[in-house]
Amino acid sequence: MAQLFKPSANSVARMSIMATGLAVVLIFGLGMTLSRGSLNTRVGLAPDQPVPFSHQHHATELGIDCRYCHTTVEKSAAAGMPGTETCMSCHSQIWTNSPLLDPVRQSQVQNRPLRWVKLNKVPEFVYFNHAVHVNKGVSCNTCHGPVQTMQMAYKARSLFMSWCLECHQQPEKYMFDGTEGLSPREQVFDLYKKYQLDPSLAGSSPVEQKLARGDEQRVPKDLEARGVELMRLRGLKKAQMTDCYTCHR
Amino acid sequence: MELETKPVDVAELRKNLDGKAGRAYWRGLEDLAATPEFEAWMSDEFPNRSSLMNIDRRKLLKFMGASMMLAGLSGCRAPFWPNHKMVPYVNTPEEMNSGKPLQFATGMQWQGMMVPIVVESHQGRPTRVEGNDLDPTGKGASLPFMHAELLNLYDPDRKREVRRKGQIATWDDFSAESTEALKTIRTAGGKGFAIVVPPTNSPTTNRVLDEIQAAMPEARIVAWEPMNRDNTYQGTRAALGAPSEAIYDLTQADVIVSLDADYLYSGPGALRQARDWAARRDADTSHGANMSRVYALEVTPTVSGAVADHKVPVSTTQLEGFARALAASLGVAVDGGEAPGALAKWVEVIAADIRSKGTRAVVIPGEFASANIHALAAAINAALQSSAVRYTATAVRQAGGGTVRFAELISAMNAGQVQYLLMLGVDPVFSSPDFAAAFAKVPFTVSQGPYFQGGAKKALWSLPDSHGMETWNDGYSAEGHAVIAQPLIAPLHDSKSHLETLMIVGRGARGNALEEIKNTWRASGSFGEGFERAWRLALNNGIVPLTAPAVTPAGGALTLAATAPITGTEVVLRPDPTIFDGRFANNGWMQELPKPLSTLTWDNVIYVSPKMAEAQSVKSGDVISVKVGEREVRGPAWVFPGQPENTVTVHYGYGNDGDGMMARGTGFNANALYSPATQFAGMSATVSKPGGTVSLAATQLHNTMEGRDLVRVLTVGEAGHDDHGKEEGHHKEGHESGLTVDGKPWPLGHHDEQSMYHPEKEFANDLPQWGMSIDLNLCMGCHACVTACVAENNIAVVGKEQVIKQREMHWIRIDRYYGPKDTRTAFGQKVDLDNPSTTFMPVACMHCEQAPCEPVCPVAATIHSAEGLNQMVYNRCVGTRYCSNNCPYKVRRFNFLNYNDRKFTEYPEYKDLRIRLLVNNPNVTVRGRGVMEKCTYCVQRINDARQHAKIEFSKGRREVPEPKDGEVVTACQKACPTGAIVFGNIADAKSRVSQEKAKPRMYSLLKELNTRNRTTYLHAVRNPNPDLENA
Repeated sequence: MAQLFKPSANSVARMSIMATGLAVVLIFGLGMTLSRGSLNTRVGLAPDQPVPFSHQHHATELGIDCRYCHTTVEKSAAAGMPGTETCMSCHSQIWTNSPLLDPVRQSQVQNRPLRWVKLNKVPEFVYFNHAVHVNKGVSCNTCHGPVQTMQMAYKARSLFMSWCLECHQQPEKYMFDGTEGLSPREQVFDLYKKYQLDPSLAGSSPVEQKLARGDEQRVPKDLEARGVELMRLRGLKKAQMTDCYTCHR
Repeated sequence: MELETKPVDVAELRKNLDGKAGRAYWRGLEDLAATPEFEAWMSDEFPNRSSLMNIDRRKLLKFMGASMMLAGLSGCRAPFWPNHKMVPYVNTPEEMNSGKPLQFATGMQWQGMMVPIVVESHQGRPTRVEGNDLDPTGKGASLPFMHAELLNLYDPDRKREVRRKGQIATWDDFSAESTEALKTIRTAGGKGFAIVVPPTNSPTTNRVLDEIQAAMPEARIVAWEPMNRDNTYQGTRAALGAPSEAIYDLTQADVIVSLDADYLYSGPGALRQARDWAARRDADTSHGANMSRVYALEVTPTVSGAVADHKVPVSTTQLEGFARALAASLGVAVDGGEAPGALAKWVEVIAADIRSKGTRAVVIPGEFASANIHALAAAINAALQSSAVRYTATAVRQAGGGTVRFAELISAMNAGQVQYLLMLGVDPVFSSPDFAAAFAKVPFTVSQGPYFQGGAKKALWSLPDSHGMETWNDGYSAEGHAVIAQPLIAPLHDSKSHLETLMIVGRGARGNALEEIKNTWRASGSFGEGFERAWRLALNNGIVPLTAPAVTPAGGALTLAATAPITGTEVVLRPDPTIFDGRFANNGWMQELPKPLSTLTWDNVIYVSPKMAEAQSVKSGDVISVKVGEREVRGPAWVFPGQPENTVTVHYGYGNDGDGMMARGTGFNANALYSPATQFAGMSATVSKPGGTVSLAATQLHNTMEGRDLVRVLTVGEAGHDDHGKEEGHHKEGHESGLTVDGKPWPLGHHDEQSMYHPEKEFANDLPQWGMSIDLNLCMGCHACVTACVAENNIAVVGKEQVIKQREMHWIRIDRYYGPKDTRTAFGQKVDLDNPSTTFMPVACMHCEQAPCEPVCPVAATIHSAEGLNQMVYNRCVGTRYCSNNCPYKVRRFNFLNYNDRKFTEYPEYKDLRIRLLVNNPNVTVRGRGVMEKCTYCVQRINDARQHAKIEFSKGRREVPEPKDGEVVTACQKACPTGAIVFGNIADAKSRVSQEKAKPRMYSLLKELNTRNRTTYLHAVRNPNPDLENA
């Protein structure tokens, strides 16, 4: 009986074993890449909104404070979305005929709310609280990217749990003083005032400059000792920040 | 294979127990009988498994493979997610923060009164009911029905539209036709017009009713509901000259005699009575010398009797005999007669005890006890000049006369004298068979109520009833304070309130309920100067303190009505302990709530005493027939230790003919036994056993901890009651296991020298360490904590079949233990089947510091927090259930099915149950299938308080960035009417919980396991009368 397998079958067998291994690695790698890419995370994508609202124009050029529209960001878990009347407090006077603002006027007239597309959503079992972050000096830009420069709002961070934990595990590496004498909460919004006066933020701390660009805000090594001090001053305790029940319940 | 428990044969049990000591504390007859089948059932490793476990290996591998493959996909979100929308308001209402709930004070109509409540609202969606802290009656506590009222609002089965002869119509149609029908009646002075309303003390509703009566003097207005309080008013009228409300101040009572009264759980004043009772059950100060003593004579066992020092099961005849004899011996001019048989000694001893206390004694008659009992109690209290009770005039419409008028209405209907019948919020067609029989003779009938059932199905017009949280209303609280009920939400359906319907019918035009109510109070002048401001304050506070006029006893001899003698077996009718008169029949929370004492869910039963069960050879679940004259009801029996020997109790409220998803197929209709002539009085009955059984879902044996020494009860003065550890005995700390290590008892105490946990090292961080203390001396088993927990934590309702499989999801359960009457001779005492003592023990997650559940979790879904919480991370849980198997306290609950989002294939008409989801608390994750859950110590409330503290700290408003003592209040603690539950930071020696835990009564469950529980107990203490030793 002739041999069933030729000598070359050995090579095929070895190749296929290797190929299988490789395929596993590749599929795993592909999965990792895809799940971290913007196809899954939607980072960097600016979806169509009912009104092409520009944060750059309103926050930077006009100098409107974040809290004018996001009224509850300092007091509630949710930052709050402005009602139509908030838009109309100015737009009943200016740009009254702009076609772009037609949905806003319609909303007011028909008493039908605007429906904005949500960019930043954490899963249902995550309980994020804006108020406590803002009051501890976490800048809007830390999570939302350089909002003050966005023409159309886009998602800036994946909001993966591992990303949250970078700060929750080592908060001292992310705590910094913006302006002396201001409370942590006031520092958050002071950044935008400074930016408005001078977008290069010349003279400001390097961390603030990074924040304004939308980069990670991690402080230089030599400032970490100050970060530990700031944690104490702001009443932050690491053990609490890494407990599961802090965010999941 | 599923194991089963079989109902116990009492005769056999008695034979087996004869001459033996038996178990000191037991949870059910099965437990006591300890048959081999029961032992097998209880020691089953996976008690709540399903027949699904019988799945074959091939299928199992297939499912496992598929789950493995799909597991990774759950991490990918965006491609599969729809675009979520943010929808802000057009005009944002003031104070409306997304993410922060608002609280509104309002009121809930209950038994003719207004119960002040506070409702939490998330973006205009009511999600939670709690007591009103400003209410001097309840002081923020609540009872199960208050929590459950919320679920009725979102009931998918609520009537949604006006119907005429079953066809959808409009309110305008009704208004026009009603006005037309009343035209001739009006000219005849209202002859032929009848209105049935529930008794109410609402001044506005009563004013509109008076207006109708004035316009139509011949109209019959009947204030009646099936479970009415007419006996109270008739009795007080006989004794005091006017129908009155008794307002008890039990802090002033050294001796309480309860005449069939469930004064801690039922009735308008229950919350205050429970709180005051608790204040006088202080077992710690001067060795319990200040403790009150409670004697309870009961026709049917109640929770108030269960926590009394002496409990005497009696028939209604015996009760009246006792009350007459007691009254006579205390100087009331009444035909005393002889106290029946064995009760003579009780009369003597109780009268002596009362006399020794002077004015500091009180007699409390039960709501459903006869008018004679109420008259005797009022007369006794007047004779004693009791400082623990005052009587005030009632504002309830037709107090003491509603039932009589109701009977008159029935005869008028039978005589064809009624042409137009309006039934508002009561359904006499369901509740009273006499009324139902006469109903067809009325040509124009209108039924307004929440459900399309009973009268609504038969009436010409069926009108949808607004829920209390959808309407304006007013009234007086149990103590006579004004309560304004404001709506939390616009009516979800096309419904109106009683007041609005009365205006449509009476005036022929729609009215503005808010304006009517404001006019009433403006005209009354009781809000003082500056009405608008006072009104706003009243809405803000929910309650305006007023003083109801006092009623002074008229004196003179008491004339009592003759009572029909009972021949044969006696039957009494009582409202169901959870679904009451049927208003909660379609309420899943109430249906699944184990009924206090019997622990039954989803069914009503007929209580029979063990002796009667023995004589008739009846077991629990056997269908029995109770016949009173021609009327008969059939339902499952429940052998109930503590039930009077020759009395059976039938519970009322189940068995409506509606299509409610929850009510369907539960319980039996006992309304045949109701008649306005007899109401709740004892009736002569014949009991027989026609055959058949009903499978009952009782939780009394679920999650047992296998009879270890768990519940502890001692007697005042008994060694160890307040000096634990000094004396040797059964109940001493550290002696349970009998083990010794180096000559010292094991386990070691929290602060023992040999312990590796040194006090200073115990809490290695500066964080709060959460702990709880539960005082078993104050727990009266009312289950308010259970419903509060269900409402707060989005706990699913699972249904009867699942409860039978031991799959109820309640995070906190109340274990009820039967035990010996005298704790001092508990061990070696003969088991008392007929009248055991009862002790309640709430059990939730113990938050062990050395938690057995944690090391066995393969995915670290349950781990410890730095603040000492045993965390359960739902999104990590893969459902191995190892944690549950390793939990010694059996407090973990597993979602065997997708209880929160079930596809109700058995109810095809329920395609859309989304309205039901509105009740969920948005701060707690709704758990899905395959996830383990358990008590979290209300971590959402801890987080809320902590975040608040952190924000305040960074604003420089407080010294420490942590919650202060009393800022974190768990849902169960908040609800508890007696304040038995205390929660707080145990690392702070000054906190209330630390002080509770420092009491000598403190003990830890299964301490020998050394799990170092954060939840500990204070043992119960009884204060029996030394003159009645072993009586």
